Parts: sequence; structure tokens; C-alpha cells
Amino acid sequence: MKILDLAIEIHNLKKYFGDIHAVDGIDLKIPKGSLYGVLGPNGAGKTTTIRMLSTILHPTEGNAKVLGFDIKKEAGEIKKRIGVCPQELVLYPRLTARENIHLIAQMHGMAKKDYKERTDDLLGKMNLLDRASSLVKGFSGGMKRRINVLMAVVHEPELLFFDEPTAGLDPQSRRVVWDFIRDFQEKECTIILTTHSMEEADDLSDELVIIDYGKIITKGTPEELKGKLGEGDILEFKVKEIDLRDEIIERAKTLDFVKWGKSVGKHRIVLNALDGLRRVSEIMDAVKVKMEDISVRQNTLEDVFIDITGRRLRD
Amino acid sequence: MERKMEPKIIQQLWYLTLKNFKSMIREVSQLVWIFGYPLVFILLFRFGYGLEVYNIFAPGVIILAPIVLISQLAGHFAEEKESGTLQRLITTPVSRSSILLSGLFSQLIVAAIQIVVMILLTLAFGVSIHPNANIFLIFFIPFLVAFTSLGFGLILASVVRTASSAGGLAWFIILPLQFLGGLLTAPLVGYIPTSLAADAMRAVMIDGSLAFNVVGLNMILIVIWGVGLILLGIILFQRKTAIL
Repeated sequence: MKILDLAIEIHNLKKYFGDIHAVDGIDLKIPKGSLYGVLGPNGAGKTTTIRMLSTILHPTEGNAKVLGFDIKKEAGEIKKRIGVCPQELVLYPRLTARENIHLIAQMHGMAKKDYKERTDDLLGKMNLLDRASSLVKGFSGGMKRRINVLMAVVHEPELLFFDEPTAGLDPQSRRVVWDFIRDFQEKECTIILTTHSMEEADDLSDELVIIDYGKIITKGTPEELKGKLGEGDILEFKVKEIDLRDEIIERAKTLDFVKWGKSVGKHRIVLNALDGLRRVSEIMDAVKVKMEDISVRQNTLEDVFIDITGRRLRD
Repeated sequence: MERKMEPKIIQQLWYLTLKNFKSMIREVSQLVWIFGYPLVFILLFRFGYGLEVYNIFAPGVIILAPIVLISQLAGHFAEEKESGTLQRLITTPVSRSSILLSGLFSQLIVAAIQIVVMILLTLAFGVSIHPNANIFLIFFIPFLVAFTSLGFGLILASVVRTASSAGGLAWFIILPLQFLGGLLTAPLVGYIPTSLAADAMRAVMIDGSLAFNVVGLNMILIVIWGVGLILLGIILFQRKTAIL
């Protein structure tokens, strides 16, 4: 991959807050034009990484280039080319929806005619045109979230950082935002999407990286990552015998169609089993304990995370 | 890719100032505070103590108006920090100096409006002004005090974390300035901005004086206070919001 084809190039990036290693040596290359997911549980270091890449936080060690510019020395050039949608709802409550969006365009030096047209176009796409002149303080959480997104994109950045863009949204509003993000990517914009939602990462990302405790634990396309788990179904159940979890997993693995097993949290066990749905009863016989709250599903990115860390994303 | 857009500092400053000003005038509680607090004392002195006392204390009440900007400015910057809007702005190609200056400019616009309104109100309630009083100085001296208020406000903004704590802590600056400076009582300390301004205002409004030792010198000392406080405020605020 040529340097020019890279939107982001990260070398051994670290950020320490006292004893806390928020980001602990990340190396990553993200190609231009991709929608790159950064998946990880809360506190994994996703937002800190985004803050360093968007030049509002200095790294403790290491460095990165964003669109070919050094984050330590060329912050000004980077800021002209990026858009940042923060995780929190960061809006001016006593400005209207339109005024909030205009402000960001004005800071980027857009021509008045251009930003006025574009703002109304964007508000229309998010079904907010009829509320364009209302003060944001009266908006619902979902409406504020959509304005939060529009403020990041109004100036047509080359690189967009979306930090948990759909946190707290209802399913319908989440779909609207997802469609909007996909639409934006088609304009050859590079998008970095951090999320702790496996569904969001799976649905939107061309490629993704999973981070935990400030380190990259795996990366690839969603299909590649899920493919590593094998073709089996995921069988998840609860057991009361906490002390016997390892033994239960070993018993299950004596069945040739059970590929792997992990205990998750205090009470739950996750097994990867070929044709698991049909063979639940055989597994029940093998584990020799009472299985409760059984579910069988296809594997997801969360199972990738469980496979590597033994924890759920939301733990 | 070649960039078509090139942000201009003057335009950014203008739009940020406009944003701050709109945010301020759309909050009823802020308007009540800016205009209501000095108005209470106008009414108290005029109708509580009578015209004679009112004539003596009206110059001090006019000085009181820009003092309330201390909590306004500190609250504004604290709100920007607390809500994350300051950080959001910093991800755009706008400098922290422009953000800071726009905060000061918008408060100065408010100060100008506030001072004009307060002077007109004191006149409307029948204050006597010396026939030789310099009208320009009656407007200008409170405006100089507004600069010192901005300095105090910036220093306070660099200390507090939230807008509500800015509002509360501002009283620890406003009340001493108000009482030690003799805006509503006899002055207790001679060389703080409020006592300097109150002396100069009384000399201009009541005596019609332009004597350098009371008016000119006091104005120079207020400017020195203002420049010193604003510089200290800028240093502290920049340090507080520095990228770490």
C-alpha cells in the first residue's frame, strides 16, 4: 500500500493518564475511501485514539499521520480536512438547528451560499428541515443526535470521525444515521467509526479493528473475523454450577461437532457447535448439568471478542 | 486534494461573537441578571432613600452594571468547557485565541448596551447631572470598568469547572468590588477598579469636574488594572485549555 493511499498511518501510539494506559501502543494503517470500524468495549481507548488523531489530545508516545499530515506538527492542516462527530451531544442549545450547522461551516470558511444550500439539503436528508429554525434545546435526544452528526459533515471533510454516532438512538433513528453514513462514504470520504455495537460495526464497516485495554486484539473484515470462529452456530446458556464451568466446557468439547467453548461472566457458557440448533439435546446430555436460558444463533463480532478475551463487549 | 475553503480569522471571530451574543440574549435568566441586578439598586435608592441619596449613589449604580459581567464571562467559558463545545470548536480550523477573543467581544457588546440602558434609566428616574458634566466620560468610565470585569471573569473561568460554580464563585469577586469600592456605600479601599471608577464618575456627574487627579488619573489606573487582569486571565485560561 502506497503512503498516498493511506488516510491514517499510526505508529506505536500511546496515551497515558497517570497510571492508566488508555492507548497502549497502537499500530494501524487505514486506506483512503474505506469505512473503518473501531470496535471495543467502553473504556477500551477508542475515543482517546480519535482525540489524538483529531489533534485535540497529544500522544504520550508514538505518532500518526492523518491524510499525510503529522498529528504533532501539522494539526492546522488536519483540522481543515476532517470532521468530528463526538460521542456526546455537543450542540449550542440556544442556537437553532440551522445556526448550529452553519457555525461549523463558517469556521471552515465555506461560502455563505454553499453552506446555506448544503445545510438545508442535509437537514432534509435527516428529516429535520421542518425544525431547522427551532432552538436545539427543545429537541428530543434523537433529533439532537442527528444534528450532532450533521455538524461533522457540513463542510464535506475528506476524513470523518464518528465516535459512537448512534449511542442512545432508537432503532428507526439509528437506521437513518446508518444510511446517511453509508451515503457519505460513497462520496470517496474516509470514515472512521468507533462503536461498541457489534451490529453497527458489522453492518457498516469495510474493515475493522477490535481494541481492548488500549491495544489492538484483532483486525480484518467482519467476514474474515467471524470466519476465524468457524462455521458453527453459537450456543449460549446459563448454568448454576459456577465452579464447574471449565469442566462443563471440557465435557461439551468431547463432542466432535463442538469446536470451542468459553465461560462468559459468572454464569454463562458460550459454545461453537456445528449444526448446533439441531444438536442441542446431545449437548445437554454431554454437559450433565441443567442448562438454562439457552439461545442458538449465528456467530457475531461479539463472539469474536468473547473468543479472544473471554468477556462480552459490554462487560 | 486542493482545498477550496480557506478560513479567515476575522470572519471566524465575527461568527463566533455573533453566536455568543445570540446564545446570551436568548436566555431570559441572563437578561434578567444583566439588567435586573443594577435596576434593583436604581429603584431602591430612588424610591427607598429618596432623590438626594439617589443623586449621590447613581454613579456607583451605573458602575455596578459592568461588574455583573464577571459572572457572565466566567459562566460563558465554563459552559463551553463543560458542554464540550469548546473542544468541538477546537477540532475545526479556528484558533483558541479567536474563541477567547470572541467571548470577550460579545461581552463588550453586552456591556455597551447595558451601560447605555442603565444611564438612560438613571436619567429617566430623575438623577441630577451637573450642567458641565462630560457626557462622553459618563459612558466611557463604566466601559473601562467592563474591561477589568472581563479580566476577573477570565481568571475565574480558568479556575471553575462548571457554569453553575462560576455563577456562585463570581459573588466572591462581585461583592467585595461592590462594597469595598463604595458603589453602594462609602468606599473602604481606594485603589481597586470600582472605587477608582466611582470617584471619577461622581466627580464627572455631580461636580462636572475634569480634574486630572480624580478623573484622568483614575481612568489610567483602571486601564492598568484592566490590561493586567486580562493578560493574567488569558495566560491562566490558555493554560487551563491547553492541549495535553
